[in-house]
Amino acid sequence: MINLNVNGQSVDIDASPETPLLWALRDELQLTGTRFGCGAGMCGACTVHIDGEARFACQTRIGDVGEGRITTIEGLHPEGDHAVQRAWIAEQVPQCGYCQSGQIMRAAALLARTPNPSRQEILDEMSANLCRCGTYPRIIRAIERAAQEG
Amino acid sequence: MTLQDITTSRRGFLRGSGALSFALLSGGGLGVVADGAEAQAVADGRVTAWVTITADDRMTIMFGAAEMGQGVNTSLPMIIAEELDADWSTVSVRQVDSDPDGVYGNPGFGGNLFAAGSSSLEGYYSALRQAGAQARQILVQTAAAHWGVPPREVTTREGAVIHDGSGRTMRYGEVAALPEPVTTVSQIAEDDLKPRAEWRIMGTDVERLDSPGKTVGAPLYSIDVTVPGMFYAVQLLAPVEGETPTIISDAATRAVPGVEDVVVMDHAVAVLARSFWSAVTGRDALEVSWSSDSAFRNADSAGELSILAEAADDMAADPVIWEARGDAEGALAEGEEVITAHYLTEHVYHAQMEPLNAVASVDEDGLGAEVWLGSQSQTVSIGIAAGTLGTSPDRIRYHAMQMGGGFGRRTVFARDLLRDALLLSKAVGRPVKLVWTREDDVKNGWLRPATVQRLDARLDENGTLAALRHRIAAPSIFEFAFPDRWNPETRRDVLVMEGSESAEYDIPDFAAQHVLVPRQSRVSAWRGIGWAPNCFARECFLDELAERAGSDPVTFRRQLLSGTPRALAVFDAAVEMSDFGNAPEGRAHGLAFAGYKATLATGVAEVSIEDGQLRVHRFWAAVDPGIVIHPQQYRAQVEGGVLFGLSSVLRERTTFTGGEIDQSNFYDYEPIRIQDVPEIEVRLVESGHPPSGGGEIGVPMAAPAIANAVRVLTGTTPRQLPFPQFDA
Ligand code: FES
Ligand code: FES
Repeated sequence: MINLNVNGQSVDIDASPETPLLWALRDELQLTGTRFGCGAGMCGACTVHIDGEARFACQTRIGDVGEGRITTIEGLHPEGDHAVQRAWIAEQVPQCGYCQSGQIMRAAALLARTPNPSRQEILDEMSANLCRCGTYPRIIRAIERAAQEG
Repeated sequence: MTLQDITTSRRGFLRGSGALSFALLSGGGLGVVADGAEAQAVADGRVTAWVTITADDRMTIMFGAAEMGQGVNTSLPMIIAEELDADWSTVSVRQVDSDPDGVYGNPGFGGNLFAAGSSSLEGYYSALRQAGAQARQILVQTAAAHWGVPPREVTTREGAVIHDGSGRTMRYGEVAALPEPVTTVSQIAEDDLKPRAEWRIMGTDVERLDSPGKTVGAPLYSIDVTVPGMFYAVQLLAPVEGETPTIISDAATRAVPGVEDVVVMDHAVAVLARSFWSAVTGRDALEVSWSSDSAFRNADSAGELSILAEAADDMAADPVIWEARGDAEGALAEGEEVITAHYLTEHVYHAQMEPLNAVASVDEDGLGAEVWLGSQSQTVSIGIAAGTLGTSPDRIRYHAMQMGGGFGRRTVFARDLLRDALLLSKAVGRPVKLVWTREDDVKNGWLRPATVQRLDARLDENGTLAALRHRIAAPSIFEFAFPDRWNPETRRDVLVMEGSESAEYDIPDFAAQHVLVPRQSRVSAWRGIGWAPNCFARECFLDELAERAGSDPVTFRRQLLSGTPRALAVFDAAVEMSDFGNAPEGRAHGLAFAGYKATLATGVAEVSIEDGQLRVHRFWAAVDPGIVIHPQQYRAQVEGGVLFGLSSVLRERTTFTGGEIDQSNFYDYEPIRIQDVPEIEVRLVESGHPPSGGGEIGVPMAAPAIANAVRVLTGTTPRQLPFPQFDA
């Protein structure tokens, strides 16, 4: 049994410590908002927060999380009303939507650390996340909006 | 689909439920389905109703085309809602899962539920307007009868019926709850549909109804589905197409905690487990030998490129004449100077973000199943499921899931993933979720095949393009993807050849030809289909010809387009909005005219090359969608298409050796990232023809516009996709 702190709750997971956090979240806890894109740290679809920092859940073994506080897209805001989520709707970012949990989690971590990021800071941070539908221009606008409207 | 007068009989309306549903009948009419039992059937999706209005004033509108990000879940219901004069804030939408009565299919796509070729708006537009207008008439007449006034005195506004004379109004929900609904209205004449000036919903940027779910991580995709008792399956797939497993050693796999079973299939060994991770761990422990006699062991992408190059030049080959106007062969043989150039597009992979997967639960008798799939075609997928189980389509309970990207990959993939999920579910007697890892998805990609395109042209004494032959060497996509519909006599492959017609250009002697070569990989349509490679070759060639003619890209094309005002309108718009030719110091502009079926467009790229690095700074696109239903989402589709095209310019390339794809994951097949993105400006130039799609038009214009800008900077057109490296 491995104990994790997920979205403010203590949960026990019956899986080997080698198991990637991504699969513990999706298959054991049914928190499927954290998506599987590559399993290789290349796409960011699986981005979650651990102690407020953006991390690839597919590259994080549950045995290594320890006391770390894990936040998934489901736990970002109880009503889905985080400034980043509001900005995402205002700018109508999602197309297929598959990458967007990860994009939103990374953007939220960026803004928590850097409330008024420059355009270059946005690009540098968000370059970890792929969007095949090509919503990038709107992602940039939505982050700028969230920074303003906070 | 023709809509005739409504012929529904009133069948004992039990008004307890207070719901009014409008069903498009198989015969073509629109009928009211309203008794309690039927309303429940509608709610369960058992009755094919386009619209259901309930007493609480909620309206549910069905949409037929599958949703993969292109926004049909909003744009198609907007068409019905407009004619119905609905209050958009009361509308919810629902995906059509299946179409046993043949009423939801796309009239523009053979009546099938099939979202491809940017065909949904074009195909459904008239039918949905008619359905909405007839439903509105039913509400008007029902209210008029209730009030005892002539129907012509009753009007509607935003979800309410109004009788001005007496000042009475009712919400649609109240009308739906009336005991005696009118059930017969006539076909609405084209002239009686809402004039454009009165539209309140179409042409506006209503919020996409799926945005909230997509920002909170809602379980929308088939990969998110959990069925009680389900096993997770992964496969060790044959490394080369056509091979089968021969010796299997699975003891170590079966010892992995959570692994429940190992199933040998014709082209794979599947591991079934209590979790995905256990299944992957078990797969890693498998030892499998494979047969080695598949002809695809000799498949080699570099070899295929040489074969294509030879085929394009082989004048003794027997090409398919895709299009001919005048006599291009004669004009090019007259001995005057013929200008020739070759263009190459390499194999590319879809890289949709959700890896392919399928969920299936086969019934105990093995002759029916519940399935969950994100597929571009419900019709095709249900047919494949029924075929796999040797049963009839009505035994397949299908859930059409949101796709995490389609781009052409999710058209007929059910014949692999869904088939296998069904076979596995049947074998183990459990529901099964079969998921490909990204590596599986890359290594078993159905690629857009490489093409070599040879263009020959002759200019007349005034420097005008007098003759053009566009000759494309490529394997057939259609033959592989849709073998049942492939005609080996005519060999006409719409997926390879469309876009080569130069239809808007006035070229007296013109021919487009397809030289078919055998495929060496699995092949499929890719966003932009043939339009992307074919426009790339032609639009680059036109710039090269313009220079030979002593002309320039704008003048040369304007002359050729002068007979097509719609084309000139988008062309001039792009030239104007980009201030074409006046790029800032160190940058250059390139342009391309592009069509995608009825949608016409022109793109302009602003490009620089510094230290060998190509950079696209800005991109302007002028697009004629005919009539735009949702401007903001249409622009989003064009932006996405331009970025897809840009990605194919910069670095997308799949290669294969000995029948195995060499790439594995996003580290060696990397679509563009956010830092590569130019500033994109899209202008919609509506010409008023029925709405035409925007999902793909961005792709064909991107690459040639960028290539033509590179030509200005370097003096040479990069004649291949992806572009070669620029020396620093
Ligand atoms: S799934 Fe974790 S980075 Fe792609
Ligand atoms: S919205 Fe489809 S991958 Fe980003």
